[in-house]
Amino acid sequence: MFKRPSSRRRASKGKAETVELNLVPMMDALVTMIAFMLFTLSFLNIVSIESPVPIASSRDVEKKLDEKPLQLTLSVRDQESEIWSPFERIAPSRIQNLPDGSPDIVAIHDKLVEIKQKFPRESKIVFVPNTKVTYDVLIAVMDSLRMMTPTDPPIFLKNEATGIDEPLKSLFPEVIFGNLLGGGER
Amino acid sequence: MIRHSSILKRRSRKRVNKAFDLQLTSMLDILVIILVFLLKSSTASTTQFATVQGIKIPLSVSPDVPPDSLHLIVTPEALTFENEEIMRFVITPAEGQDAAAAAQDDHVNYQFNPQDLSEGGRLVRPLYDALVKARERSELLRAQSQARDEEGKPLPFDGVLAIQADKRISYDTLRRLMYTAGAAGYKVFRFLALKKE
Repeated sequence: MFKRPSSRRRASKGKAETVELNLVPMMDALVTMIAFMLFTLSFLNIVSIESPVPIASSRDVEKKLDEKPLQLTLSVRDQESEIWSPFERIAPSRIQNLPDGSPDIVAIHDKLVEIKQKFPRESKIVFVPNTKVTYDVLIAVMDSLRMMTPTDPPIFLKNEATGIDEPLKSLFPEVIFGNLLGGGER
Repeated sequence: MIRHSSILKRRSRKRVNKAFDLQLTSMLDILVIILVFLLKSSTASTTQFATVQGIKIPLSVSPDVPPDSLHLIVTPEALTFENEEIMRFVITPAEGQDAAAAAQDDHVNYQFNPQDLSEGGRLVRPLYDALVKARERSELLRAQSQARDEEGKPLPFDGVLAIQADKRISYDTLRRLMYTAGAAGYKVFRFLALKKE
């Protein structure tokens, strides 16, 4: 019977030593980073919609009567919403509210895209909601007034600096409340 | 008997000498995935807006991240300005409902206390006082600051008010608050909402 060859000799003969990476400090660093992030970061992604306070001035009214600007206005009422211009620059369009009483945001947005195609340089819109409209609906309507959606037809406007036609990203970004001081309706 | 004990000794010695390697690679993978998830889902904004318990904030597609400003929180229960409750609404519960349950109701019936209103119900007095106080404090700080405009005057009050309202708050309430803010010298409202992904 032959003796079994020595395993010590076999191991040392040409077999490279394995180098093991020490992962413990890396794990420590990652655990510390995760703990730090969990403590410090905010997961509520808050966004904002700005609106200036309307200022009434008799001088502006005289100027406007001469210039007859678009002054696009959206009135949200109990039964319907209306898009109109006090200086009759556009034909008024009435949009019936949805069966639950909320304004038809999609139809309003589509109509505003049509108007934007005719007046691409206009950026202001006067918003006249009725008193029962909730903050939730207010934000949804303001979003539809301000933002273009990916499904909207592209509207191009010439950039004065570069001379290149560029697609517009926003619809009517400056939303002003028309009935803060009372009135604003017709 | 002697031979048997020596075998046992040899076995136990073998067990002790054997190096115990914990497989850390897979654990490291998990930690990296968690870290990437945290980085992706957290916001890069440094602005922190406080909130109150039970508020239901609406969603918005607006891309604008709000900078730091004076902050008003409106819930059907109370008005909170700069983390301080300044006024409580009067909640009318439905029959058989207690006040706490009524405040959480989607159709909560809340009203201003008539004593808190003035100018024909358009101006909210406690809010007006708090806003004027905050404006004066801000103007004083700006006057004491070394920052000056081109004419060497203190920087003007920016007059921005961030409004974080519960989604059930009606425009009737918001209109009074906005009118009050306008009367107190605030020029811009910043309506806050949660980002719709």
